[in-house]
Amino acid sequence: MPWLTPHVGAQLVDLGSVMLLLTCFAIVAQRRLSACVDLFALQSVFLAMTATLVAFLTGTRHIYIAAALTVAVKGFVIPRVLRRVIERLNVTRELVMNVNVPASLLICGALVMTAFFITRPIISFGHLLTRNSLAIALAIVLIGFFTMIARQKAVTQLIAFLVMENGLFLGATAATYGMPLIVELGVFFDVLVAALIAGIYTNRLQDAFDSVDTSRLSELKE
Amino acid sequence: MTVTITTMAVAVLLCAPFAAGCWSLLIRTSRQLHLVNLGSMGLLVAAEILIARTVLTQGAVTAFDEMVYIDALSSMILFIIGIVGLACSLYMRSYMDEQVARGTVAPNRLNLFFFLFHMFLLAMVLATVANSLGVQWVAIEATTLATTFLIAFWRRRESLEAGWKYLILCSVGISLALFGVVLMYYSSLRVLGDVSSALNITQLQAIATQLDAHILKLAFVFLFVGYGTKVGLVPMHSWLPDAYAEAPAPVAAMLAGVLETVAVYAILRSRGIVDQAVSPEFSGSLLALFGLVSFSIAALFLLLQHNYKRMLAYSSIEHMGLAMVGFGVGGPIGIFGGLFHLVNHAFAKSLAFFAAGNIHQRYKTVEIGEVHGVASVMPGSALALLVAGLALAALPPFALFASEMQIVTALGTSGLPGGWGSRGVSGSILLLLLCSLVAFAALLYRITGMVWGAAPAAVTRGEPWSTGHLSLVLLGLLLVGLCWVLPSPLRQLLDMASALLGGG
Repeated sequence: MPWLTPHVGAQLVDLGSVMLLLTCFAIVAQRRLSACVDLFALQSVFLAMTATLVAFLTGTRHIYIAAALTVAVKGFVIPRVLRRVIERLNVTRELVMNVNVPASLLICGALVMTAFFITRPIISFGHLLTRNSLAIALAIVLIGFFTMIARQKAVTQLIAFLVMENGLFLGATAATYGMPLIVELGVFFDVLVAALIAGIYTNRLQDAFDSVDTSRLSELKE
Repeated sequence: MTVTITTMAVAVLLCAPFAAGCWSLLIRTSRQLHLVNLGSMGLLVAAEILIARTVLTQGAVTAFDEMVYIDALSSMILFIIGIVGLACSLYMRSYMDEQVARGTVAPNRLNLFFFLFHMFLLAMVLATVANSLGVQWVAIEATTLATTFLIAFWRRRESLEAGWKYLILCSVGISLALFGVVLMYYSSLRVLGDVSSALNITQLQAIATQLDAHILKLAFVFLFVGYGTKVGLVPMHSWLPDAYAEAPAPVAAMLAGVLETVAVYAILRSRGIVDQAVSPEFSGSLLALFGLVSFSIAALFLLLQHNYKRMLAYSSIEHMGLAMVGFGVGGPIGIFGGLFHLVNHAFAKSLAFFAAGNIHQRYKTVEIGEVHGVASVMPGSALALLVAGLALAALPPFALFASEMQIVTALGTSGLPGGWGSRGVSGSILLLLLCSLVAFAALLYRITGMVWGAAPAAVTRGEPWSTGHLSLVLLGLLLVGLCWVLPSPLRQLLDMASALLGGG
């Protein structure tokens, strides 16, 4: 494709990374649990598209495998599991938030700036193609981290964890054109198992506490 | 010839837990489960001894196309995994059977317990021998996944809560470490070009001096915070007391004795690479600072505990903090002291959890205030608790006292890394001594209160001999033995390991 010069390619990769970041903000602003799951699935598809683009532009074959796995595992399997979990729950919304939506969005904006600030000294070494993606990846990781603290439902926390993983994957694709294949497969395996285990937990928490509100988890105190 | 034998030993090391885990799912009776368990542990220990001998004579070993890399440091960690794992298997023979007999666990869930236990072991062995930092990360995350259901195994509300907290906090923490691994790969690719071996410890060590200091600094911060969560350093420690107190005793012993040590190992591994490119002051000050904070906060929390399992958990945080101070200060004495501290802590803490498990089974409470007169009720466990407690309080003849003194001495001679000046050094020594005094008094007071006194009338007396007591004897003898002699192979291993970490 002649129009796909490295310059255009870099712009497209940036666009993909920004879409990932935007879905992050949407997840932070969303109260309905099922919508959060959909947004996460959408984010994973964006991630796979960005990764495919990088694979195509650089000719790195094994990223295709990782991208396919992303769509399969994070785009379909995990969201399915999560939807099933939500069906069993008696709550479908985040009712009480530790930090309300407008404040959360402001904090997330600040986190994005922090991420660009932290990576500034090392970003200039990066490949031309993916220079900004590393900073965006760190921003996504930080936003995931923040969501984990700011939201109380076990499902939302799990989604936040998965968002962090997406950020990490973007970082690996952007900075290094993918990790060695064996590591990538291992990471996928871990994430899948973690999501399944957390799904089982939410069921058990629901049975034991009648709620998946983690603020109710307060039997253990000093 | 020796190469092939070592390769076979490495294969056994990885296959034994895996095969035993899968096999456990298929068998019915608890007797067979324990036999498989003990058999695989025996193989594991034998393989470790073989590998340690090769490492002692020939230095570092690689196997399977450089996928596996074992040097003195990793074989020291393997040694800890082997001994504590073996003791744990012996202990489970009586402990789990008693739980089944009481109806706490349905007999058909025993398979799952053993399966997860073996997967936990496998993940720890893999994390220790993996050459690639990426595989090491995958294995350490796998330990979280394998143990979370072990912690929640009793399925009470509290244990579910502890398991969930553990899963979430450790997974999140360790995601940060993955970012560190990515950055590490980023920096090494710039030197090596696009090769898949660029994350291998052997490769990274060879080119460490050419790596970019900025990237490595950032990478180390992420790795340290990530694996530090798993070690339980303050302020990332909040999952730890819950998990240790709720987990079944053998699991708590493995978590406290071995898993923490493996996480420390992961930190030390990446530190070894980072220090060659960045001045050791950078990583050293990070380690020493977090170590000091963990040590002092945990010592204060020790005073407040009324649950003996939580008390042991805080003592873990305290000892890990101290070892971190040793590694952070560095120098031959500091690093040797830190490593020796890890070994002794692993044995003492698992012994303490075994004794605590026995006491919990008999007294049916974890409140310190309700447990008195263990000496008259169950003399064997009382002795074990006393030995472990005195060791953990770092009473002089025990080796933990020696290593604690080594660390303090190192702090006095080399000073704190980073620009702290002499006032900072004397202040931190004072803080260390004061807090260790507090911890000493707290542990001793609580444990003597439990061991002696009048036992409640409702508690049945007498302690019949069982297989589980073998583990108490094994660890107790090791602890007492290490007071006087440090066997020369172990000493050599420790020396080599501390030389590797720059304490030459």
